[in-house]
Amino acid sequence: MFEKNFLENFDWWLLLAVLLIMAIGFINLNSASLAAQYPFQWKQLVWYGVGLIVALASLKFDYRSLCLYAWHIYGAILAMLVLVLVIGKTVGGSQRWIPLGFFNLQPSELAKIGMVVVIGSWLASDDKHEYGFLDMLRPIVLTLVPALLIYKQPDLGTAVLIVMLSCSLLFMAGIKWTSLLILIGFGIPLAPFVWNILKPYQKARIFAFLNPENDPQGSGYHLLQSKIAVGSGGLIGKGYLHGTQAHLNFLPEVHTDFAFSIWAEEWGFLGSLVLILLYALIIQRGLHIAYSSRERFGSLLAFGITAMLFLQIAINIFMVLGMLPVVGIPLPLISYGGSSVIVTMIGIGLLLNIRLRRFLFQ
Amino acid sequence: MRLRFKGKKNDSRRGASIRLKKFDLPEVSVNYTRIKAAGFVIFFCFVTLIARLWYLQILELEHLKLRSETNRFRQVRLVPPRGKILDRNGRVLAGVRPAFNLCLIKGEAEDLESLFAELSQLLDIPQSSLKIRLIEGKKLPKYVPVVLMRDISWEQLSKVEVRLHRLPGIYIEAAPGRKYPEGRLAAHLIGHLGQITEEDLAKGRYPGAVSGDLVGKYGVEAQYEKILRGVYGSRKIEVDAIGGLNRVVEQDSPKPGSDIYLTIDMDIQRAAEEALEGKVGAAVAIDPRSGQLLALVSSPAFEPEAFVKGLSPEQWKALQDPVLKPLFNRALQGRYAPGSTFKIVTALAGLKERVVSAHTKFKCTSSFKLGCRVFRCWDWRGHGKTDLYKALVESCDVYFYNLGLKLGIKKLAYYSRKCGLGVKTGVDLAHESSGLIPTPEWKIRRFHQKWQGGETLTIAIGQGYTLVTPIQMARLIASVANGGTIYRPQFIDQVVDCSGRVSKAFEKEAQGRLPATSYQLALIKKALLGVVQDKKGTGGRCRIKGLQVAGKTGTAQVIKQSKRRMDEKMAWRYRDHAWFVAYAPAQNPQIAVAVLVEHGGHGGSAAAPIARKIILRWLQIENPRPGLSPLRSAGLNPANMDIVRLTEEEAGV
Repeated sequence: MFEKNFLENFDWWLLLAVLLIMAIGFINLNSASLAAQYPFQWKQLVWYGVGLIVALASLKFDYRSLCLYAWHIYGAILAMLVLVLVIGKTVGGSQRWIPLGFFNLQPSELAKIGMVVVIGSWLASDDKHEYGFLDMLRPIVLTLVPALLIYKQPDLGTAVLIVMLSCSLLFMAGIKWTSLLILIGFGIPLAPFVWNILKPYQKARIFAFLNPENDPQGSGYHLLQSKIAVGSGGLIGKGYLHGTQAHLNFLPEVHTDFAFSIWAEEWGFLGSLVLILLYALIIQRGLHIAYSSRERFGSLLAFGITAMLFLQIAINIFMVLGMLPVVGIPLPLISYGGSSVIVTMIGIGLLLNIRLRRFLFQ
Repeated sequence: MRLRFKGKKNDSRRGASIRLKKFDLPEVSVNYTRIKAAGFVIFFCFVTLIARLWYLQILELEHLKLRSETNRFRQVRLVPPRGKILDRNGRVLAGVRPAFNLCLIKGEAEDLESLFAELSQLLDIPQSSLKIRLIEGKKLPKYVPVVLMRDISWEQLSKVEVRLHRLPGIYIEAAPGRKYPEGRLAAHLIGHLGQITEEDLAKGRYPGAVSGDLVGKYGVEAQYEKILRGVYGSRKIEVDAIGGLNRVVEQDSPKPGSDIYLTIDMDIQRAAEEALEGKVGAAVAIDPRSGQLLALVSSPAFEPEAFVKGLSPEQWKALQDPVLKPLFNRALQGRYAPGSTFKIVTALAGLKERVVSAHTKFKCTSSFKLGCRVFRCWDWRGHGKTDLYKALVESCDVYFYNLGLKLGIKKLAYYSRKCGLGVKTGVDLAHESSGLIPTPEWKIRRFHQKWQGGETLTIAIGQGYTLVTPIQMARLIASVANGGTIYRPQFIDQVVDCSGRVSKAFEKEAQGRLPATSYQLALIKKALLGVVQDKKGTGGRCRIKGLQVAGKTGTAQVIKQSKRRMDEKMAWRYRDHAWFVAYAPAQNPQIAVAVLVEHGGHGGSAAAPIARKIILRWLQIENPRPGLSPLRSAGLNPANMDIVRLTEEEAGV
């Protein structure tokens, strides 16, 4: 159907950015694996491969068919999130993984892309020009159920991320400014309640974020060490494999959440800038795809995926740079993790897919 | 896959289904303004990100780099084990034991207040005592460690060790500690350690030392600080977040201190200390053949270990006692009139100046008139016609008044100095006194008064202004014993470095000769033997069966003779100082002893028994198994001695 225009309509920039980030991710994980003393980089390479295959193979199918299966997808997400609470594997106090033998599936990761599809298709079918407050009740409820399940794991970061994803989709779909204000007005009185249901370690993380120097070996420790790692990298970094913060175990989770700090430490400001610009390129392409799509679902989906990627990138890097509390949000394609890579690549695949089919509707 | 498979079917077979057709909507259904708005927000976020990166990596680089460096490397000081101090037979007087110090690196600490609060709670000690060291070391660079607590207990060590990761800036340093297995034995010679002062640190007197370290403050510990301390090493280690050792980057091994073997014999030292127990005084034992000190005692002594642990205010007060002065080394620093022991010098001078011969006699009627003043002999009965031998044996004062008068003060002063009195012996310890040999010039300078003829008489019998130290008297009697050579008193037998190499060995050092011919000395030695061995000798309390002991008693007046009537009833502080100098065996002297007992009374009764105990102990060492090994090595004639009875019976006296 689109073969004749494939080369022309394919978003080569997006693919290039993804491949370069994968290269960086592999190089960086190679260093982080030395520090973590486990060869994560090879497993990650496999996931990159699987991810690329999934993304490119999915181009064959029209993304619009996802709309038909939105409820199936939603049901599957909820089922997995309940399942993980029952039989999930507990690591570091959180029950987040479903062991599948060859790989531990992280349902909360799948929930990210799943919720983008679900909310996106719901908003696309519920076609309105502007959304009032009552119109949003259903998507809010749709979002809160998986978010609370994820919060139960506990995984506050992902739960918040899912809520934010839905919000950005609502924003994109055309929420009225007045409704937005009402929503915010409801949100503020809820804050103390939310604070009360936070777990002590979560509160400690927030306190530590507000004043990291106060307890450098405790909750603020990760943030402080990460800041030291990034800052000590300087302009050109300490050199590959010479990041002392990472290799002397001052950095926690160098292969996952704090992967950016080892990169910044070893490659300095310039290296970090390259990586951030590559991400910016992906986001720019994503927005462009959302903008250039001539159809509501495609535009919403592209925007949702872009928001998903952007929010993860921003939250993770802001956290690493000490501007947000420690939350378990991975950096797409840089942090080690099969679920995260696959979800990211599904998102990339969908972006490419939307891009390919943008003119079908004119 | 199934899901997508279905999708594909949908797509290809039916094309855009009814529901899919619904997607074909006018442009207006996509909210382009909102995408643009989102784009702006996202752009702003990226700019913030990059600005933050710039701030951290470029603007904050120096600060964070330093943090990372200190995170990464830790310079750990390696404290060398302090050299041991041993006696001549290799018995340990000052040794080492494992110890741990609680150290702080200010630059690594985050919040000193909370750190101290936590430490004080953890160790249950007041914060103030922890902070003292820090206040002292406040001028030091931030990354120089400060020893907060020295020699922490095992209990404290384990408490801190497990919490170390919660105590940034704190670390434990293994620092070999000092122990004195013999307690206060030879305390004045060994000396003690003490906290390094701020001034020492500022002037860098002890390279590598940090605030809170212990350095030698007194005695051998101070005098040989450099040799004993060794050289500090360092270890640069990479540490991980929990303070765990990751990898030693470089190591500069410490050089252990050298061991010092003293010439002191622990047994003789102990015998002397036990003999002086409860008394205030000093005793010095010298090998007259070489000047090696065999014992150096000042009583009362102090506990050197107390300085390592830190003195309590009570202990410190006790050490400052103005009368007992435990920190005062009387053997070196104590200045006392020599009393009749000075008659050796007067006699030597008389013989050498040929004022008297062995046969010259003076009549003692127990008093001597000079002008309108009457000078008394100690024995109210008088000694009658007295020659040199009798005068020394019975310590006749009148004989020496005559002799002193004939010699004059200048000659007496000259010979005193020649005999090593009034000058430092040069023993390698700080604070030695030189004593005082008065001359008319000195008196004018000091008191702006003319020298009185009568004063010469008091000088001649060792009273008056003359002041000597016990070690000077010991050197004098040793010189008499060995036939006239004055050897510098020394206490270092050898210095052995950590590899077992002898870096310094004892060498005897002659400082001069007594101003007398061997014949003249022989006359005096004969008389000194008589002092102990003769029935009428004043030193009979030092007699040892089977051993020829020679000596001289002395009683140094503390107050004027006219007032000293009822000796026993006098207050302690007005009583005479008791002296006794001796050597043995008389024919072939191998030990010379000088004993002083402050306010002990008569030399013959208070000091001689102490000298006897010292000599007796020496004899037991020289002849440990009587009956089996004759005292040939000691040059004694076993035939003269009742050996078995000697060791069994005499030892208990």
